Amino acid sequence: MKLFNNNIKVYAAVAAISLVAACKPSIEIDEPKVTTQQVDFSKYIAVGNSLTAGYADGGLYLEGQVNSFPNMIADKMKRFGGGEFITPYFSESQHNGSGYLRLTALVNGQPVLEPVTTALAIRGFYNNNPEKPLYTKFTGTAINNLGVPGMRLDMSEMPGLGTVAGNPYFERLLPDNASPLTTYQSYASNQNHTFFSFGLGNNDVLGYALNGAAPTLDPTKALISEATFTEKYTNFINALTANQQKGVVSTIPDVTAIPYLTTVTNQALLAAATAAAGMPISAIFIETKSGTRPATDKDLFVLPFSSSGLLGKPNALGYPYGLDPRNPVEDKFVLDANEVIEVQNRVIALNKVIITIAASKNLAVADVYSFFNKVKTGYNYNGIAISNKFITGNAFSLDGVHLTPMGYAIMANIFIDGINSKYGTNLEKVDATLYHGVLLP
Amino acid sequence: MKKLLLTILLASPTLLFAQGSQVNTQGIKALGMAGAGSALFVDETSIFYNPGVFVNMKGNAISAGATAVMYRSAFREQGSFEQYNTKFKISPPFSVFATFGPKDTWWKAGIGIYTPYGGSVDWGTEWPGKYELNHLSMRAIYIQPSLSFKLTDNFSFGGGFVYNVGSVDLGRSIPVFDSNGQAGAAKLTGVGTGTGYNVGIYYHLEDAIAISLSYRSKVNTKVTDGDAEFTVPSALAASFPKTNFSAELPLPSSFNVGVAIPLSSQVDLAVDGTFINYDIYKSLTFNYKHNTDDIIGDDPLEDTYQDKKYLNAFSGKVGVNYKPSTTLQLRAGAGYVVTPVRAEYVYAETPDNNRVMASLGFTYALSSKLDLNGAYTFQRILQRTVTNTVTGLNGTFKTNIHAPGISLTYKW
Repeated sequence: MKLFNNNIKVYAAVAAISLVAACKPSIEIDEPKVTTQQVDFSKYIAVGNSLTAGYADGGLYLEGQVNSFPNMIADKMKRFGGGEFITPYFSESQHNGSGYLRLTALVNGQPVLEPVTTALAIRGFYNNNPEKPLYTKFTGTAINNLGVPGMRLDMSEMPGLGTVAGNPYFERLLPDNASPLTTYQSYASNQNHTFFSFGLGNNDVLGYALNGAAPTLDPTKALISEATFTEKYTNFINALTANQQKGVVSTIPDVTAIPYLTTVTNQALLAAATAAAGMPISAIFIETKSGTRPATDKDLFVLPFSSSGLLGKPNALGYPYGLDPRNPVEDKFVLDANEVIEVQNRVIALNKVIITIAASKNLAVADVYSFFNKVKTGYNYNGIAISNKFITGNAFSLDGVHLTPMGYAIMANIFIDGINSKYGTNLEKVDATLYHGVLLP
Repeated sequence: MKKLLLTILLASPTLLFAQGSQVNTQGIKALGMAGAGSALFVDETSIFYNPGVFVNMKGNAISAGATAVMYRSAFREQGSFEQYNTKFKISPPFSVFATFGPKDTWWKAGIGIYTPYGGSVDWGTEWPGKYELNHLSMRAIYIQPSLSFKLTDNFSFGGGFVYNVGSVDLGRSIPVFDSNGQAGAAKLTGVGTGTGYNVGIYYHLEDAIAISLSYRSKVNTKVTDGDAEFTVPSALAASFPKTNFSAELPLPSSFNVGVAIPLSSQVDLAVDGTFINYDIYKSLTFNYKHNTDDIIGDDPLEDTYQDKKYLNAFSGKVGVNYKPSTTLQLRAGAGYVVTPVRAEYVYAETPDNNRVMASLGFTYALSSKLDLNGAYTFQRILQRTVTNTVTGLNGTFKTNIHAPGISLTYKW
């Protein structure tokens, strides 16, 4: 008893510590139940365009590549048999890749954008044309992220696209000894893949819309027909599923809902013109296929128009640009109301084709179309307001077309949802709160 | 930025005041019976449970108690293999009660100083709900002078005036990113005051039954000059000035019925039921003194309004008190709380759900004048999978609470 009394403080301390330790609440919330898997993720390839490549802020650069949605999906596949996923990264010393836009200041609440021109991966120019840069080639051979910015479905069977005269982002993936006749379809479908994501088709509509649906000979700015789309899509999917591979295809977003086309509005231009003129301006005149007319709120102006400095600039005859019917805003700057409907209807028709083909091949569908519509309306993701607002909407990067890392993370989840619901897999969602939106100075 | 910066209101301190870490620890004896006993314990803690009771005390007493509330919540986003826990924190509610007045007469006065609710939840800055909440800590101190009157030997009533001083410290991430991709942060701190009252009536038949009815009024805590500070990229600094905010945090009124019945000469049974009028808590508004607008066509800092849409709540508690000797009492209890929070309005600050609780406790007479009371309660806020309709956060919450408490009573 005496011993006990002598040690009572020790006993009390031990008792107190063990009580606190025992009290420290530990909690286990059950992990998701994992079902037996029917899909082989061991070699996943990502086929697509700039969105697949991780293009952002008007360029392809290392950080965007790292934050590409296929990279995020591949990361989640690792738990379920996914293998190594190789992205054709630009090197650290050339990490700014093609160059991109950076926000350097807010002046009167308006963004000031500047191109990044250091640490580029430009190795030269085709025909010394500064508009046609060539990029440092990727030296590895096995590539999983095959995303090529600018790639169109209607060019997927075009020989020569992988040469210096073709698409520089495709050219940099191909080995030096590649045949100049290599098509994107043959290249992408000969990777011995077990699973694929497929995201071509946007540019076949987007290029047209971003050019204001203006008449042009440039094939990258044409609108694809439903017939061509069906043919090329069928061919490509047939090639990718030649060995009964599983995969996920994405629908095409409503390209008229992106900040590139929704930020510069008729109202904003009227307000700016009124402020500049010091008197009320009641109409912005636009050139359309059916003649010149005053713009309405249903006509969409392209984002670069606001910084072009053209509005109100008098021509040789003294007519201010866009403010006088004799000097209207050119067609290429405006997707007018009729063209908006044309593009929207085409997207709907093409998505029907995609869904039909996917169903016939037992492929999952990532409903990117619905997702972009949701972004257009605006919604909250884990307390973050996501919308198609330029800069403040968190989803779109500074080019108004491509996504931020956060936007790509949410897009990865659209693919993961599609895969899980089709194949009963348990791929974990990407935590998009780990990624940033537009960077501010 | 209007919406993405809806910010501050999203985490409302009220919830924490009200639920979540709410553990009624004012009386260690009642704590040992999961909160039952308003009709059983005739002592200084009745100032809190029912001020109509303490006039029946034989003498006067002063007691001081403290509890270590250990509260931990966990979250798993839907379909995720990652679980996030709140940081382990101990919040120390305390209480002091004292009674005054002549013995064996028709009146008695008392004062209680206690922390009715309050606690701290810290999810950190690296979890999927960080744009809803990083951390929130609340302190509230109630000061309640009271009077208790005896009408007959069997019937008494009483009431007290409540003055409340509360403080809040809230942090959350805001989705604006500097050149390193680092998210911004908002920090709100404030002190508020409020008033209310507490009344009760008590009826007892010696060795037969005791009934306690008590009503606590709503206490509206008004924060008028809270400090709001933001960490944002320098380009936005002017849009997020250091400013003040005001907000009103209503604590609901509640009505409690307690019954105590002796089961034998050594064993008493107590049952308590509480109705909490939470449906007054419909929304929360934060007013900023300095609002800013029109940055990139958006309004960074605006007054905010958020739906809460609480339901009324109910709690039921039952306990037994056993006296094996004149110097020792042992007790145990269990209870169930029906949450006022709808699933689609569950926020990280108080990931509430229905709650089960179990308690053990004792009173040991160190001398004829000095009692030592101890209690231990375990509470579990049941696992709940929710999608918050405002923030969109979708996942499963679960919370465990452990709370040992101790108090000393000196009687004269």
